[in-house]
Amino acid sequence: MDYQTWLYVGIAGGIISIAVAVYLYFWVMRQDPGSERTQQVGSWIRSGANTYLKRLYTSLATLALILGIIIALIFSFNFETIGTTGVTIEPGSGVIMAACFIIGALCSAVAGYMGMRVAVEANVRTATAAQKSLQQAFRLSFYAGAVLGLAMVGLAVLGMSIIFILTGEAHAVLGFSFGASTLALLAKAGGGIYTKTADIAADLVGKVEIGIPEDDPRNPAVVADNVGDNVGDVAGMGADIFDSYVASAVAVMLLGASFSTGMQYKYTVIPLILCTLGTFASLLGIQFVKVKESGKPGPALNRGTIITCIIFVGALLVLSLLKVIEPGIFWSAAVGIVTGVIIGFTSDYFTNDQYKPVKETARVSTSGSAVTIITGFSYGLISIVPSIIGVVVATLISYSVALGDGLPGIYGIGVAAVGMLSISGMIVSADAYGPIVDNARGIAEMAGMGQEVIERSDVLDSAGNTAKAITKGFSISAAALTVLALFAAYAEVVKANGIDLNISLREPIVIAGVLLGAMTPPLFSALLMLSVTHNAFDMIEEIRRQFHEKPGILAGTEDPDYDRCVGLAARGALSSLLLPAFLAVGLPLVIGFVLGPDALGGFLGGAIFTGVIFALLMANAGGLWDNAKKYIETGKFGGPGSDAHKAAVVGDTVGDPFKDTAGPSLNTLITVMSLVSSLFAPIIAVFHLF
Amino acid sequence: METHFYLSLLPEALIVSMLNPEEFGSYYAVGSSKKSRGQAMFFEVDPNYQNSYFHLDEALKRCVPHEDGRPKSSIYVSVYRVLEHIDPSALLDLYLTTQDGRTLALKSSEIIPDGDEGLHLYQEIAPVTPLVVSRLDPLSFYDLIVNNPTSLISVPAITFAELQLGELASDPEMGLLNNLPYSNPDHLRQCLSDVKTKFVSTKMVDRTHSPVIPYRTIKNGFFVGNQEKLRYYPMPSAETLRAENYRWFRSASM
Repeated sequence: MDYQTWLYVGIAGGIISIAVAVYLYFWVMRQDPGSERTQQVGSWIRSGANTYLKRLYTSLATLALILGIIIALIFSFNFETIGTTGVTIEPGSGVIMAACFIIGALCSAVAGYMGMRVAVEANVRTATAAQKSLQQAFRLSFYAGAVLGLAMVGLAVLGMSIIFILTGEAHAVLGFSFGASTLALLAKAGGGIYTKTADIAADLVGKVEIGIPEDDPRNPAVVADNVGDNVGDVAGMGADIFDSYVASAVAVMLLGASFSTGMQYKYTVIPLILCTLGTFASLLGIQFVKVKESGKPGPALNRGTIITCIIFVGALLVLSLLKVIEPGIFWSAAVGIVTGVIIGFTSDYFTNDQYKPVKETARVSTSGSAVTIITGFSYGLISIVPSIIGVVVATLISYSVALGDGLPGIYGIGVAAVGMLSISGMIVSADAYGPIVDNARGIAEMAGMGQEVIERSDVLDSAGNTAKAITKGFSISAAALTVLALFAAYAEVVKANGIDLNISLREPIVIAGVLLGAMTPPLFSALLMLSVTHNAFDMIEEIRRQFHEKPGILAGTEDPDYDRCVGLAARGALSSLLLPAFLAVGLPLVIGFVLGPDALGGFLGGAIFTGVIFALLMANAGGLWDNAKKYIETGKFGGPGSDAHKAAVVGDTVGDPFKDTAGPSLNTLITVMSLVSSLFAPIIAVFHLF
Repeated sequence: METHFYLSLLPEALIVSMLNPEEFGSYYAVGSSKKSRGQAMFFEVDPNYQNSYFHLDEALKRCVPHEDGRPKSSIYVSVYRVLEHIDPSALLDLYLTTQDGRTLALKSSEIIPDGDEGLHLYQEIAPVTPLVVSRLDPLSFYDLIVNNPTSLISVPAITFAELQLGELASDPEMGLLNNLPYSNPDHLRQCLSDVKTKFVSTKMVDRTHSPVIPYRTIKNGFFVGNQEKLRYYPMPSAETLRAENYRWFRSASM
C-alpha cells in the first residue's frame, strides 16, 4: 500500500470514528432522562451551558474571522522572492491558509461543542441510570465521554488528511493546527476561569460561610458550578487535547517536509498513519471498558487505556515488520506511548489519597493552612521530577533510535509525541467521563435522589478524578514533546528561508529571548488566576446579596436566581481573555519582528521550560490539595468542620485555579506560541529589526 | 394554625411558634437575619404544660399570623433560667438542626445506657456550657452535678451530651486521638490523665466551650434532667442516620 493510500485510510478512520461518536450520541439520547425534577435540574444546567457556549462561540467566531482575514492578507504576499523579484502577491496562498485556519478552529469548536452537548444530556441520564445500577450508569457516562473522544480524533484525522491531500503542503496543515490551538487556548482558559469562578464562589459562601453541602440547590451558584464542570473539563479539555494532537502531528509533518525531495512525502504522511492507527486502536480499546455491578470503574478505565496501548503498539509492530515504517519510528512511537502512560500513572501517585503525598498533606493540615500550602506546594514541585525524567528518557531514546535508523533525531522526538497522543480517543473518553459523573452526582443531590444513588455516583466520581489526574500528566508531557518537535520545526522553517538559527546563550539577544519566554507562562498563569479571584469576588457578592435579600432561599421556601450567577461567570470569563490571548499570539510575533528569529528561538525555549514546569506543578499540587481535603472529609484528622479541615479547604481553594485554570492552559499556551512562531517564521525571517 | 412550644438550648429560651418542628429548625438556623446560620437544638414542650414562672397566656395571645397570612415564627416567652422551670416529663422530642437548617427528631428512651469502662468527655449544653472530662458514667455525672455536688458548683437542671474519646478513654497519654476533631489535644490528654491518676472525678477542659458540636462526635445521646427526673435521648448510629436520614447526615457531616 503506498503512502497516499494511507491518507485515504486516515479519512476512512476519521469518518468511522465520527460515525461511532454520532451513533453513541444518539444512543445516549435514547436513554431515560429521569423524573420531572431530574429533568428540571438538567434543564438548568443545559440552559446555563448554552448561555456560555453561545457567548463563547460568538466571541471566538468573531476572533477567528478577524485572524483569518489577517492571515489571508499576510500570506497573500510571497516574501521569499523579496531579494530577487521583490514581494509578489499570491492571493490563493493567503485564502488557503486562512481557510485551513478557520477549518481548524471550526473542528476544534465542533469537538468541544459535541462534548458539551452530550455531557449535559448524559449527566441527567447517568444520575437516572444510577438509580438502577452502577453498571448502567458507568456504561452510559463512559459512552458519553467516548462521543467527545471519538469525535475529536475523527475530526482531527479527517481534517489533517483532507487538507494534506488537497494542498500537498504540511504548512497548510500548520494553519489548520494554529486555528485549532487558538480556539483551544481560549476555550480552555475561558472555561478554566468560568469553572473556578463558580466553584470558588459557591464553596466560599455556600460551604464556608453558610455551611450548606456541595451541590445543594439552595446555593445560587450551584448551577454555574455544574455548568463550569462541563465548560472547563469537557469543552476545554476536548479542545486542549485536540490542539495537542493536531500540533504533534503537524510538527512531525513539517519536519518530514524538510527531508530531501524523495523522502519528503513518506515522512510527512507517517504521523497521519500513526494517528490513524491510534484512532482504530481507540475504537477497539473502548469495547474493553466494562464494569460489573460490584466492580470498580477505575480499573475498568485503566484496562481500556492499557489495551488500547497494546493494540496500537501491536499494529505499529506489524507496520514495522511490513517495512511501512522503520524500526526507529516503531520504537520512538512505542517509547512515546509507554512513557505517556507511565507519566500519567505517576501523576496519580501525587494526587491519589492512597499514597503518601496526599496523606501527609492531610496530616499536616492539623497544624494550619500555612503548613498545608507549603507541604502541597513542595509535593507539587517534587511531582515534576518523574514527568520530566519521563520526557527526558523519551526524548533521548526516541532521538537515538531515530538517529540509528538514519533519520534526524528530532524527527524521532516528534514521533514519540505523536505516539503518546495517538490514543487520545481513549484518553479523552476516560477524561470526559469524569465531569459527566461529577455532574450526575450533583444532579442526584439537587434532585433529592436517594442515598444509594449518591453512593453509586460517589464510586463513579472517584474513578473520574483518577482518570482526570492521569490525563493531565499525560497531556502536559505530550505537550512538552510536541513543542520540542515544533521548536525544531520552527528552526527548519527559518532555515528554509535562508537563516541558520544561532541559539547560543552567549548571545545577549538570545538571552533576552530566553528570559522573556521564561517570564511568559508565569505571567499568563497570574493573569488567569487574577481573573478567577476578581470574578469570584463579584460572584460572592451576588450570592451574599441573594441570601441576604431572600432569606427564604436558605429555608427552602424561595428559589435562588441561578441565571444571574451563570451570566456573571460567563461575562467575567470571556472579558478576561484579552490579555492572555495577546500573550499567546501577539508576544511571539512582537519578539520575532523586533528581536529577530534567534531571540524568538530563545523565547520559545524559555517558554517551553517554564511552561512545562509550571503546568506540572500547578496540575499536581492543585489535585493534591483537593484530595487532601476530600481525605479529611472521610473522617480523618478530625473530619469535616475540624481545624484540619478548615486548613485543607484553604489549600483546596488555592489549588482550584492552579489545577483547573492556569495549569491546563499552559500546555496550550506553549503550543500556540510555537505554532504562531512556525507559521509566521517565513515572514519573521525576512522582517526583523535586530 | 397549630401553636407549638419549643425549649431552645442554643441559646436557652422558651419560644412559642406557629411553625412545625422542621420548619422551626430551619427558621431558627437560617431563616432569620437575627441568627443567619448555626446549629440549633430544641425540645418540643407539651402544649398543655403550665408553669406560673412563664407568661404563657400572654405569649399565646401574641402568637398570631402575620397580616399577610404567614405563620408567626417565634414569640420569646423567656430567655432566663428556662430549663430549670420546665419539668423533664413535659419534654417531647428533641430536635437537632444542622447549621444549614436540616432537622432530625430524636425520641426519648426509657433505657439509660450503662456507663462503660474508661474515661468520659461531657459537653454541657444548658444552662452552662463547659467541656468536662470525668471518671463518672453519665448517670453518676448527672447525679454529681444536680443532686450531690462535691464542690460548691451545682445547677438545678442540666442538658449534656457525652462525646467520643476513642482510645483516649482508656489510654489518655498514649492512645491515638484517631481523627477526633477536638482542639488543643495536649490539654485534653492532660485533663484526662489528671482524672485518671489524681483524686478528682471530674475536671474542666474548657470553661466556656462552644456548645456547637459536630453531631458525629456524640457517643451515645443527650441527657436532660433536674433533681426529680433524668431523661435520655439516644443518638442513632451513623449507619442508621446515613440510611434513614441521609440529607441530615450529610449536612451534619459538613
